[in-house]
Amino acid sequence: MAASRQPHSSASRTAPPQKAADTFDALYRNHVDVMYRYANRLCGETEAAKDLVQETFLNAYRGFKNFRGDAQFSTWLYTIASRICLRMRRRRKGAPERELSLDEFIPTSDGEFRLQIPIEGLSPEAALHNKQLRKALDAAVGKLPKKYKMALVLRDMEGLSAKEAGAVMGLNERAVKSRLHRARLFVRRELSARGLAEDTASHRHEPIT
Amino acid sequence: MARRPISTRRRLPAAKSHRHEAGRCLHILRELSAFIDDELSHDICGEIRQHLGACPRCEEFVVSLRQTVALCRKSPAPALSSIERAKMREQILTAAHMR
Repeated sequence: MAASRQPHSSASRTAPPQKAADTFDALYRNHVDVMYRYANRLCGETEAAKDLVQETFLNAYRGFKNFRGDAQFSTWLYTIASRICLRMRRRRKGAPERELSLDEFIPTSDGEFRLQIPIEGLSPEAALHNKQLRKALDAAVGKLPKKYKMALVLRDMEGLSAKEAGAVMGLNERAVKSRLHRARLFVRRELSARGLAEDTASHRHEPIT
Repeated sequence: MARRPISTRRRLPAAKSHRHEAGRCLHILRELSAFIDDELSHDICGEIRQHLGACPRCEEFVVSLRQTVALCRKSPAPALSSIERAKMREQILTAAHMR
């Protein structure tokens, strides 16, 4: 289930070295799916996501002793994965790292106020059966600069609270909310007439077969 | 002698094309995530609702922002197969013991 959250595991709090492998197995089993989902949303493609998950658990395995029991294990893993992701070299099609200003999200033409993909009367789940919409959404999220993408993914996709997302990103709640707002406005604009028009005009995402 | 203009050409406010960048709308734009996340005080929410009732453009904008967030919340993500999961576990443990 996309929205399911793993129950927090206390098995890891103080892992003696000899038990590291057993503890690792338990934690891996409980958290790998969540981390893979998170990694996919951050990276936008499966190979990079797998690399990120491996690197995350490798770091976690080595860092059991650094794990502070006052944080949920999942929050700790999110934090490790986020740091690694920020360090990963920007991939070819990655979005440029830049600040998003609110001004750029002010609509300037009529078609920009609403989403251009008809989803009126549909539940989000039903709307997402529309392949075109799913692709447009993925592309929009993929275009976000990393720090904005992280806020959006943690809050609106992974379902973390602003406080939890702040702990993961090393920010206060206010900063999380500010980034989240800009990220949402960015994605919204990408799904509006302006975003879709620019997208089809500038490049095709699909290889021509 | 300078001729006086007969009629003063006043700049009309852009009544037909809604100036969304102006004043109230811009203020509302800043608050919309907090608004849809129910983080604002009762008073500010009331003000925003009142504005939305009077400004169809802002209303449309809020609807589309809500839709965007709803889509994000429900967006599916691929899952690992049990084989991939096991393979990845092996690779992690191998790497952990190698280095």
